[in-house]
Parts: sequence; structure tokens; C-alpha cells
Amino acid sequence: MKIRTLRLLAREGAANVYKNKLMSFASLVTITTTLFVLGLVLMFIVNVITNLEARKQDLQVKFYLKVDASALEQEEVAMFIEKSKENGVVAEYEYESREQAYENAKKDLQDESLMEGLTAENFAEGYFVTLADQNDSDEFIAKLKQFSGVDPDWITYPKQELEKITGIVRVFNYVAVFVLAVLMMISVLLISNTIRLTVFARRKEIEIMKYVGASDWFIRFPFIIEGMIIGFLGALLSYFLTYEAYDWIKNGLTSLFSSLMMSDLQLMEFGRFSVRILLVNVLFGMSIGVLGSFMSVRKHLNV
Amino acid sequence: MIRFIDATKIYPNGAVGLKNVTVNIEKGEFVFIIGASGSGKSTFLKLIMHEETPDEGEVYVNGYSVHNMPKSEIPYLRRSLGIVFQDFRLLPNKTAYENVAFAMQIVEAQPREIRRQVPLALGLVGLGKKAKAYPNQLSGGEQQRVALARALVNNPAVLIADEPTGNLDPKTSLEIMELLDEINQRGTTVIVATHEKSIVDAMKKRVITLDRGELVSDVKKGLYTNEN
Repeated sequence: MKIRTLRLLAREGAANVYKNKLMSFASLVTITTTLFVLGLVLMFIVNVITNLEARKQDLQVKFYLKVDASALEQEEVAMFIEKSKENGVVAEYEYESREQAYENAKKDLQDESLMEGLTAENFAEGYFVTLADQNDSDEFIAKLKQFSGVDPDWITYPKQELEKITGIVRVFNYVAVFVLAVLMMISVLLISNTIRLTVFARRKEIEIMKYVGASDWFIRFPFIIEGMIIGFLGALLSYFLTYEAYDWIKNGLTSLFSSLMMSDLQLMEFGRFSVRILLVNVLFGMSIGVLGSFMSVRKHLNV
Repeated sequence: MIRFIDATKIYPNGAVGLKNVTVNIEKGEFVFIIGASGSGKSTFLKLIMHEETPDEGEVYVNGYSVHNMPKSEIPYLRRSLGIVFQDFRLLPNKTAYENVAFAMQIVEAQPREIRRQVPLALGLVGLGKKAKAYPNQLSGGEQQRVALARALVNNPAVLIADEPTGNLDPKTSLEIMELLDEINQRGTTVIVATHEKSIVDAMKKRVITLDRGELVSDVKKGLYTNEN
């Protein structure tokens, strides 16, 4: 096919979007709605996973030095932790000196009498370490145990909680993939049905073109362009709808969370995902438009 | 130009479309295919334009063999034919001009050529002034003229018309037939399926009569009723 003809057919497809207003509108509404629902579900999944991951990130390896650890032993551990931070194993850490430990204990107990006879010297230095990757915890703890200054009975790490969260994230990932797959399938069915209807309404037109001697591609191409344009418009529309709806939901939920004292639950900013959501929408919308047109026209080409 | 050799077409429901029909139509002829409803007129034309294929026998059109033609070649066969239907079959969302231009666009004619030929074709059928009208703004006769212009614009070797006057009043019918005759005078082979006696009788052309799929007569300068 000549470039000139392709240009002509592309123009034809674009003009058909306008000429068949009602059917274009029906397809547009279907594509927009399904992509909108898809976008919101996607954002929900992203938020749940991000919050769970954030939980995981809060888990700390807590350990204390022996009360009688020598200055050298203290120095060794301090250097190890600092080095681990430098090479990225440790994301951040908090150091608790004997004095701070003593003060904290006093504050926690709220009863001076229980602290009688105790001084800062009876308390051990502690480190609260957040690892960059929680999967490194076993290795990190094994290394800690090698230091003579570290009290092996006072290394704690909420491993069970980590496993629980990891398990939940894993299950949630599966559920997310499943829900998305089902939603996509429904979208494909819904959209291609609408396109099939629009093509069916114009089957006579296709038949006439065949009788006049048009090749299959000559007939198909404008329909494909039409599907592409409607898919693209639907993607843009649903993007803006998703953006507005998400913003609205986010504001509502954020104030709800803070009134329920659950402000550690964070909803992601839409901006962080906007490009990805837009890309997914455009790619999905356009390919559905193209595929739907291609398949629906095929049925009527056998004249 | 067009040859039917012992062509038989039986439809899946058992209805006989054509039965052992052998016919030869030469270049430049004007032929009427007549017969009652169900006589096989439409099947005859459908075999020519490859809407159907023969179950037995052979059909040759403009050098194409219809019975074992690859699907990709069908458009080329149809481009060598001009086809006119009883119900006009114009593209509803295109103007008269665009409908005629469409036939040229599918053969990828130069835009310059299209701009030149389409007004000529519309002029030939007397619709030069209605180029911008959409089919629903035209009368039946006018729509059939547009269909004729579309069928002619690529200078086909053969023009096929299936009951072209079936939806038109007698006066308009005659005008359309005169147009077809004029087109024939220019060298195009014209094949018209019809059951309108007055037209066939008035034109005095070759008449092929079909009855229940069988060829019962083939007369030069025939009449509809002359029991050839």
C-alpha cells in the first residue's frame, strides 16, 4: 500500500470517529470506565503493598553490649556499625549510651524506688539498627554474634513479624495479579463487545467496500485508526478521572486515618505514579482499541 | 470475456442456483439475464463477482478463473468489474463525489486523476451538480446514477447490474437503461439481470433466459416473452 493511501485511510479513520458520533461515544465511555476502574484498583494495590513494605522497613535489629564490655570492644562494634552504614547494609541506626539507657529506664518505670542503687554503669550500650534490606538480617546478626563485646542474649529481631508481613505481601501480590488479570479480561470483553457492535452497525459499509473491490487492509485500516484514537482518548480521560478520584479518596482517607490515630498509614502521592498510570492507560487503551477493531472487522470481511 | 462451462451451484439448503449452464459472453456485448424469482439470475451474477463459487464446472471472468481463485485475488477481480445493485449500495456517510472517488482510491489512483475522473463520471450520469449531496439527500434514481458513476469510473471491462431498476419508477428505469446502453456503446460489456419485461422488450438485446437454474434460451435481439 502506498504512503499516500495510508495517509488517506488514517484521515478516513479519524473522520469516522466524528461521523459515527454515537458509536464512538459508546466505545469511549466503555474504555474510559474500564480503564478508570483498573486505575483505581491499581492504585489501591500499590498503596497496600507500599504500606506493607514500609512496615517491613520499620523492623529493627536491637542489640546491647555486655555491661562489662571493654572500651576496645565498644570501639570495635561502633566501627563495624559505621562501616556497615557506609557500604549500604545498614540504612540507619540509633545509638543508646549507658546514660541514655539509664534515663530511659527511669522514665519508663516512673518509680524512683525501683531504680534505687542503680547507676548508668549498670546499663549496657545499645544499638537500634534498621537494615537497608531486611533479607540481610540473618547474616548481619551472625556477624554481630562474632563480637565479644556484644551480648548474644540481647540481640532481638522481630523475625516472625517480618515473615508475617512478607507472607502477606506475597499473598497480596498473587491476589493483585489475579484481580488485575480478571479485570483486564473483563475490560477486553466489554470493550471488544462495544467495538463489535459499532462494527456490526457498519457491516453493510464493509460489504459495499468489498464489492467495489477494496482489499481487506484497505477496509481494516480506518477501523484500526478509529479504535486507536478512541482508545487513546479513553486513556487520557480515564487518567484525569483516576487522578481526580484518587485525590479525593486520598484526602478523605488521610483525615480519617488521622482521626483514628492511624497516621502511620500513608497514602502515596498520585504524582509518583502518574507517568506509569498514564503509560499503562495509553498502552492498554490503544491496544484494546486496535485489537478490538481488528477482530471485529475480520468477521465481516468474508464477503 | 466471460465463460460459464457446465457451471452448477447448489446451495447448502439444497436449492438449485444454477445447473449445467454453459454460456459465452464476448467483449462489448449487452446481455439481459431474465427469469422469474429463483430462476438463478442472481446466482449467475454472484458467480461472476465471486460472491459464490461453482460446485461443478468452471467460470472464467476477465481471464480470472473463479472456481479456484485465492482470496487475495478477489479484490482484483472485482476491480475489473463495475457492479450496480438494486439497492444502490452507496456508502451512507460519503457524498456522491466521495462514493465515486472511493472506487478510485481503492485502486490507489493519483489524486489528480481522481479529481479529473470523478466529475466526468458524475457528469456522464447527469449528476454533476449533486456531487456534494449525501445518498439520503438523493432520489432513488439519482442514487442509482451515483452507483453507476462509481461502477464506471475505473473504466471496467464489464459492468454487471443486478435488477438496477427494481426500485425505480418506469420513467427513471428507462433513463438508467439508456445510460447503460450508452456505456455499452463505448465498448464496455454490460450484463443486466432483470425481470422487467418492458425494458427488455424495448432494448432488443441478447437475452439469456434461466428457469430453475437451467438455461432455457439464449437469443440475440430477443424479447422477454418471445418463447425464444
